[in-house]
Amino acid sequence: MLGVVVRDVTVCVRGLAEPVIDLPSLSIAAGEKVAVTGPSGAGKTTLINVLTGLERPSKGQVLWSGTDIARLSEAQRDAWRARHVGIVFQDFHLFSGLSVRDNVLLPQQLRSFRLPPGSRERAESLLRRVGIERHDQRVETLSRGEMQRVAIARALQQEPGILVADEPTASLDTESAKGVISLLIDLSASLGTTLIVVTHDGNLAQAMDRTICLDRGRLVMPAARAA
Amino acid sequence: MIPFRFILADLRRLWVGSLVVVLLIAGATALGMAVNLQERALRLGSARAAERFDLVIGAAGSDTQLVLSAVFLQPSPLTLLPGSVLQALTTDPRVAMAAPVGFGDSFDGMPVVGTTAAFVLDNGRETLLEGRAFDAVPEAVIGANVPLAIGDQVKPLHGLPGEGGHTHGELSYSVVGRMRETGTPWDRAILVPIEGVWRIHHLGEGHEGASVSEHADAADHDHEHDADDAEAHGAGRIGPPWVNPPGIPAIIVKAKTIADAYRLRSEYRKDTTLGVFPAEVLTRLFSTLGDVRKVLSVIAMATQALVAAAIVLVCVVHLAQRRRQLAALRALGAPRSAIFALVWSELLALVAVGVASGVALGYVGARVFAQWLSQASGIVGPVMLTMQDVWLAFGLLAIAAIMATIPGVMAYRQSTAVALRA
Repeated sequence: MLGVVVRDVTVCVRGLAEPVIDLPSLSIAAGEKVAVTGPSGAGKTTLINVLTGLERPSKGQVLWSGTDIARLSEAQRDAWRARHVGIVFQDFHLFSGLSVRDNVLLPQQLRSFRLPPGSRERAESLLRRVGIERHDQRVETLSRGEMQRVAIARALQQEPGILVADEPTASLDTESAKGVISLLIDLSASLGTTLIVVTHDGNLAQAMDRTICLDRGRLVMPAARAA
Repeated sequence: MIPFRFILADLRRLWVGSLVVVLLIAGATALGMAVNLQERALRLGSARAAERFDLVIGAAGSDTQLVLSAVFLQPSPLTLLPGSVLQALTTDPRVAMAAPVGFGDSFDGMPVVGTTAAFVLDNGRETLLEGRAFDAVPEAVIGANVPLAIGDQVKPLHGLPGEGGHTHGELSYSVVGRMRETGTPWDRAILVPIEGVWRIHHLGEGHEGASVSEHADAADHDHEHDADDAEAHGAGRIGPPWVNPPGIPAIIVKAKTIADAYRLRSEYRKDTTLGVFPAEVLTRLFSTLGDVRKVLSVIAMATQALVAAAIVLVCVVHLAQRRRQLAALRALGAPRSAIFALVWSELLALVAVGVASGVALGYVGARVFAQWLSQASGIVGPVMLTMQDVWLAFGLLAIAAIMATIPGVMAYRQSTAVALRA
């Protein structure tokens, strides 16, 4: 379980006078469930990229349980992310042509020649927990709701301390979205994972402990969103 | 690092593009390979065809034409040598064997060549596959690939193979022997005594007791029974020595020593005669052929370079389309080296399949072409892969391995965050 402290982080993009992200201070406790909301272009994805080490901030510190990932090299950030972060994307990013099981195992295989013992069993038990039974099925033959559940199993495969979901319900129908929301909450609770969700989905945001609202790269009060 | 299954699934997903890339590479490789294989086959094949022909003497004219006609049995009208040259050569002490070769007739598209029994047996160094050499005018020995059997009758048609002409009804040969396969145009030839050719063309027989006029009369008299009549004339003897033999297109000479061969060649390079070593003429032909091959090789290489450029372009476009997939892999924890390995090994796998099928395609192509060539010319070109071809294939792979690093590095350097936002 990991918590994060963000200090004086700004992300500037060439050609833009204003920083995309300007966060003097933000902290998320270990095991907390946080929704990130805000209008398009508010910097939500950039914030996620900075928090997961996909993007390096122009300045500032991103301290995950004491490790400042803003100071790590790209390769080190890749390694750190692989070890600590599970990511769920809006459009799944599953790899067609591979079976459900192979998709769950892929991130691990990308980093090591041989799977650690027990990986297969863990993948299968995770898949059962998200309600997917046919593990040899080609992933492209699943419904969208099932695909997102496979993606959740994949994100949790390496026992990450942080689970990040970028609009996990945006491309799903209401029914599938409900299932995905309860899976994210139940699994992160039972696995003790910090959960950060970028969402426009009011149901999803409400199910979280807290909502971080962004507007033009700055934190605003959640109430501002309702206005 | 990158699971093999993932690469396979990737290639299967992108199968149209992969197929096009493989076909392009296969085509370019096959082109280069076929040029090499075919040129080598033709060179070996024709060198082998010329082995039996130490020295060829003909009437003054083109030496290439003489070799093509006498050695490769290419139909062409040659100026005749006076019979006295043959007579002189048969009695020359430096000559081990002087065999006239007379063309002009054909049977069922196969050349009928008049010569001596000594030539059929290569002066005693060859044996026949079956039967025996001819020892009378109405007998013939056939090449290994002539679709006739011992005992069959051959009625030559006047005119070269492929041309029209009239049947020489007056003389029919019966097949008495078959030669071993030589891989040369002679495999498709029907060899008959030169006296038969002379007789058919009413030139006399070069032996005592037979005269042109008698034969002309006999031919007019009764075509069907002419062969029997000829024997009845007592002119059945064949082979040297001849007395005042008629003209012939060419004489194959085996000298007793190499020095004799050179001396004979220069002696017969005079105003009216021409002596050539077929090997010498072939060497000149092959140097021309070599130039052609160089041109073809350059074309093949340019094709390969174009294909390589096209593939780099395809890769760049392909990478742009895959930015999101590769970025997702990075986000999921794939190290940059894995991304590089993925792009590089996919590309190399395509190139390897392409080169391998190109080699196969080039080999089959060269085989088919050689077969066609041997049907058309009788020259059997041995198409075979050598170490040189293997190195060529490895060279192409090595170049591809280096070129594939370009898209590999591009994928490697791509920013994950930017790509995911697309």
